Amino acid sequence: MATQLSVQPRRPAFGAQPSTGTFVVEVEGLRKAYGPVVAVENISFGVLEGEIFGILGPNGAGKTTTVECAQGLRRPDAGTIRVLGLDPTTQAAQLRQRIGSQLQDSALPGRLRVVEAIELFAAFAHDPVDCDELIARWRLEDQRSQTFESLSGGQRQRLFIALAFVNSPELVFLDELTQGLDPQARRATWELIREIRQGGTTVVLVTHFMDEAEYLCDRVAVVDSGKLVALDTPQGLIDGLGLPSVVRFTTSEPDLGWLGELDVVESIARHGEAVEIRGTGPVLALVASELVARGIAPLDLRVERPTVEDAFLALTGREVRG
Amino acid sequence: MSAMGGYLALTRTEFRLFRREPFSVVFVLAFPLMMMVLLAAVFGNKQADAHKIQNGMLIWRGVTPASYYTAASVAVIVAALGLMTLPITLAGYRERGILRRFHASSVSVQTLVGAQLTLALVIFVAGTVVMAIVARFASHAMLPQDVLGVVVALLVGTAAFGTIGLLLATVIRTSRSAQGIGLLLFFVLWLISGTAPPRAVLPSGLRDVGGVLPLTHLVTAVQNPWFGFGWSGTDLAVLAAYAIAAGIPALWLFRWD
Repeated sequence: MATQLSVQPRRPAFGAQPSTGTFVVEVEGLRKAYGPVVAVENISFGVLEGEIFGILGPNGAGKTTTVECAQGLRRPDAGTIRVLGLDPTTQAAQLRQRIGSQLQDSALPGRLRVVEAIELFAAFAHDPVDCDELIARWRLEDQRSQTFESLSGGQRQRLFIALAFVNSPELVFLDELTQGLDPQARRATWELIREIRQGGTTVVLVTHFMDEAEYLCDRVAVVDSGKLVALDTPQGLIDGLGLPSVVRFTTSEPDLGWLGELDVVESIARHGEAVEIRGTGPVLALVASELVARGIAPLDLRVERPTVEDAFLALTGREVRG
Repeated sequence: MSAMGGYLALTRTEFRLFRREPFSVVFVLAFPLMMMVLLAAVFGNKQADAHKIQNGMLIWRGVTPASYYTAASVAVIVAALGLMTLPITLAGYRERGILRRFHASSVSVQTLVGAQLTLALVIFVAGTVVMAIVARFASHAMLPQDVLGVVVALLVGTAAFGTIGLLLATVIRTSRSAQGIGLLLFFVLWLISGTAPPRAVLPSGLRDVGGVLPLTHLVTAVQNPWFGFGWSGTDLAVLAAYAIAAGIPALWLFRWD
């Protein structure tokens, strides 16, 4: 009975997944080693125009190396990269005018003020945005005249994100976008990134935050130990692995063995009155209907769907640590 | 807009940062000024000293010790900026990821160094004016006889010490080691290039070593027009050769991270 029900897949985290389109980033067989340490081994992927593409992986997985090669900041040992139709190793100067970069571990001179920094970088852009508008958008008005060294971690981060957009880029690389931001600023930053994508900018987002990838990204490349281990929509990653959902409720009903006869149920665990059922597919609907049919209507019936984090764990066999 | 506009914007930025970083101003300008005043006070401004000879050389090149040190100290400012300020600044920029940030935003090495050297040149000219005025009032030293000649010497000296500084910033990884190495080089050059003891009093071995070093040539290149001896083509040519010899590998090997 369970298998006959069609399961409505949840929509991707945001908007529609661009199924067709032009690739603005094409990476084929990328390899990069630092001495004996292989940082990236044979990675291939493409980023579609207008999408938010996530590169997800633990620290040291090779994410930053990959995007640094794509930005022409590092020279790959092997493989081909095209970004906006340009070769980042030989056409870096042209490319940099059309992309925005928020880098990990970068800084500005300590005594440089926020507004001066933005004006300085705008001076190098062929098509600069309005500096005041950029300051307002990234909520840096109060820090306008503050020096870089006096900014908090979150304020510095906002400044670096703002600098990534100073040259009206067609494509931005954001490496650890919300590192150091407090929860509200993080949420606000996510909304701004979505807004920027609505304006037509393609976003490549490097992150080790699962919730960020799940919330923002249309597609996610999972990288582990320098290799690409999966590439799909966040929901596709989860669905593709057939990870279980967990249904929880409490009941005083002593025997629930009959729930185990449902095809979708994989396991039932009880701790006193608390019941935990694991299963795949429409496990909540089927368990609920079975419960109701037997006159049991728990008030606290709920389901925990597998997350990108669960998918990541299943794919890499380890937890991501910040 | 971007190439020229970027250069102007970065130069303006470097000027602001220089004003806000008091230590670099103090050392680069105050040390040569202080040394000039001290040395002029020690050796005096008697015209009788101008023609003293030792080891077959005019000790004070035919001028008073005070005049000698005034012109020489201008060269010291150039060496201090090239050997210390520039490599320390650039290595520090690299260490902290500032160069990465610049690199990702279309800043070229030429623009980066051009802005630093423009700032340096303005400091040199300002330092020279201060030096000349202080020396004039404190010890009746000679004012520059050929201002254009002095400016040209400063320009060529900036190119030589600027590229040497860039080369140091390229081979030295951290600002801490740039400080140590820069300071060592600076004091060695300062001691044997005729900027501390005059070259005539040095033992011949040290004089020979000093003779090939760029600061010695810069001292002569600045002193000659300052004293009205005309431009020193040889010294200017040697400095230009230093600029090329240091500049090519520096630009070739320069690393942003």
